[in-house]
Amino acid sequence: MVGDINMKKIIFNSLVAATILFAASCKPEIETPAATTAGTANFSKYIAIGNSLTSGYADGGLYLEGQKVAYPNLLAAQMATVGGGSFTSPFFSDIQANGSGYASLTALTNGSPTISQITTGTAYVAPGKLAKYSGEIQNLGIPGMRLDLAFDPTFTFSAANMFFERLLTDAQVGKVNYAAYIQGRNHTFFSLWLGNNDALGYALNGGVTTDATTVLTEKATFSFLYTNMLNILTAGGQKGVVATIPDVTAVPYFNTVTPAALLAAAKAINPAAASIYIQTGTGTVRAATSEDLIRLPFQTAGLFAVPNAAGYFYGLDPRNPIANNWVLDKDEVVKVKDYVNSYNSTIKSLANSKGLALADTYTYFNTVKAGISIQGININAAFITGGAFSLDGIHLTPRGNAAIANVFVDAINAKYGSTIPTIDITKYRGVKFPDSK
Amino acid sequence: MKKLLLSAVLSVPLWVFGQGFQVNLQGQKQIGMAGAGSALALDEASVFYNPGAVSFLEKNSISAGVNPLLFKSAFKQTGSNITENVKNKIAPPFEAYAVWGPKSNKWKLGLGVYTPFGGLVDWGNEWSGRYALTSLNLKAIYFQPTLSVKITENIGIGAGFVYNHGEVNLQRALPVNYPDGRSGHATLEGTGSGYGWNAGLYIKTLSNITFAVVHKSKVITKLNDGTATFDVPESLRTSFPAGNTFNAELPLPSTTTLGIGVPLSKSTTLAFDASWVQWHVYKELAFDYAVNTSALADTRSARNYRDGSSFKMGINHQASEKLALRAGVGYAFSPVQDGYVTPEAPDADRYILSAGVGYAPTSHFELNASFFFEDVKSRQQKNIETGLDGTFKTLVYAPGLSLTYKW
Repeated sequence: MVGDINMKKIIFNSLVAATILFAASCKPEIETPAATTAGTANFSKYIAIGNSLTSGYADGGLYLEGQKVAYPNLLAAQMATVGGGSFTSPFFSDIQANGSGYASLTALTNGSPTISQITTGTAYVAPGKLAKYSGEIQNLGIPGMRLDLAFDPTFTFSAANMFFERLLTDAQVGKVNYAAYIQGRNHTFFSLWLGNNDALGYALNGGVTTDATTVLTEKATFSFLYTNMLNILTAGGQKGVVATIPDVTAVPYFNTVTPAALLAAAKAINPAAASIYIQTGTGTVRAATSEDLIRLPFQTAGLFAVPNAAGYFYGLDPRNPIANNWVLDKDEVVKVKDYVNSYNSTIKSLANSKGLALADTYTYFNTVKAGISIQGININAAFITGGAFSLDGIHLTPRGNAAIANVFVDAINAKYGSTIPTIDITKYRGVKFPDSK
Repeated sequence: MKKLLLSAVLSVPLWVFGQGFQVNLQGQKQIGMAGAGSALALDEASVFYNPGAVSFLEKNSISAGVNPLLFKSAFKQTGSNITENVKNKIAPPFEAYAVWGPKSNKWKLGLGVYTPFGGLVDWGNEWSGRYALTSLNLKAIYFQPTLSVKITENIGIGAGFVYNHGEVNLQRALPVNYPDGRSGHATLEGTGSGYGWNAGLYIKTLSNITFAVVHKSKVITKLNDGTATFDVPESLRTSFPAGNTFNAELPLPSTTTLGIGVPLSKSTTLAFDASWVQWHVYKELAFDYAVNTSALADTRSARNYRDGSSFKMGINHQASEKLALRAGVGYAFSPVQDGYVTPEAPDADRYILSAGVGYAPTSHFELNASFFFEDVKSRQQKNIETGLDGTFKTLVYAPGLSLTYKW
């Protein structure tokens, strides 16, 4: 009997001990290496300077869902954990959430997409004119903004660009340029991802300059204006992050409609089709090669293989070639790449001399073009299925924005010794696929 | 003499038992001793631990036990400030044994049904690694009829045939989005079977020190015609056809164990086990789908496990005629190499601690309880295949209870 009592005691005590052990150390803990800190930076008032990418433009339009996941907004939310303040954006109202309207994938038939335009719930008050936004703004990204036009001496761009016009008071329209507009905001930190359109505007027009938005900005001009821009942004000794310009050929816009794909489509109908013919920037007509890049909208332009009055099929006969503005031919590709490289040298050297963080989006876009696995997600530059690029083939999906925001996070942390937490990109979507056949 | 032997064992180069999907819960007494005991003819669980020792058991017996296991794993993405935890799911490793032989004869028959491999991990559908894995439920149930023969008064050999019934349910999110933004989901579910064997040698020296050499063969478990269910937006249905099936193969590794039992006194015995688990057979996890499409190719995910090993030491103290107390410690080296750590087996080297108690109210009945704890070291990894980049940390808790009837 004595043994029994002892045994009961022991079992009881063991159970108690086991329960205590269980409760106390049940959950595994992962230690954080360092305390959260802003390092040598001050994120209390962050402003984002840039173009469509900064504004959250996606699917060929600016709309509320895209605005909310713009990389500066994702970045600002993370900065909040290391002393960042509130971050304001010119969001469209819920009732006008579709903003400028945008493209939507409505069907996928044998891998071939049908893309339709959302035109309801937009913010238009007149054709080409959006409802004004007034109030404090820290996401200052303006779709279409260029470095050269940021210093537009004629101030006409403030009226010509509806996204810029939307943010200005009536008194400011036609009286201000972007460089002046962004000043006086008492920022403590900034991001600058501007200059993409100085090369992209030209490229998206097939290497043809038709107006101020399709100019290929001179290298020296770029350098001069970028210096001016940084002088403005660092006038109070502020710290910030600047980003390089991606290679324009890294986006699906130039890699989806290939001469080979067009030829294959033509051969399916007429096996005799031999080549795709293009008109180059110099006016020459020749057979297209894989180095000639055809713009994405050509897919739905309804031009290909349509016979002209003389009976020659468009793009399939040298006497009826694909027009110059649809093609960024290989010489133009070389030219644009050279300009982008020059812009990036400028950006890197200025970042270095001014002690700013550098988000190398040029390198990152090239990585994505090759394909990369992040947290179990494969992302690449394939149109629709790649996950990073939205339906316009240039701008980012929410997932792409999250990935690029982490490039900024890493750059800022590396430069300033801060510990801004990275963003969980798995929380953000790629292209939405329709759920009906 | 004893001291010499101990130091000889301890100086054996570190090979032995890695973990991966291995579950080291096969006998309540041995669990209380951290899983050591291949060189002890403790009870009917020797069918698993060493078939050679079965013929040295004094009584016939039948027993059944269960060890509800709580696998608590946490993950933090590199650079993130958020720690995520697996859901609390209780896996039920169990073991049942029967040993019978004519009294004072030289042979015994045994049967073991136990769960030497398995995994139950549910990270949920919202965690940041969900595109690598949301949940895994893997069970391997081994059925092992065994014959053990006492060759001499001091040497026993035994061998058993192993039939494995395997079940797997593997789920992950797919990075394709519905119009409302939610992700697609893949579920692979199937059952399979495999065969192997388990053989052991038990040697009792004149000084009553016992030795064991045990080899449990690999069991290649084949899953045929498992169901592959893909929840995707309808516009992608042609890429992920409904009613698809898959074949897969899961090689469960062989284990070689060397054991020593050292009687310290009439009532106290020490046991050492050193095990070498030949995990190198787990080269890849491959799924061969019946229907392939441009979006759904057969997958071959490299696992490239190396051999794992473990050292375990346990002590069994018969405090009174009715009461036994046990404790154990161990250390195991992970078979998972850098770059191959996955959320389904967030493995790393681990410490093992255990305690147990046995109570025999009569000469026929015995009740044994154990508590088994593993502390899997924190490991920061970026997976080569998925890019999943973060730190895993795991704790394993398994209380257990078994009932034995002896005659």
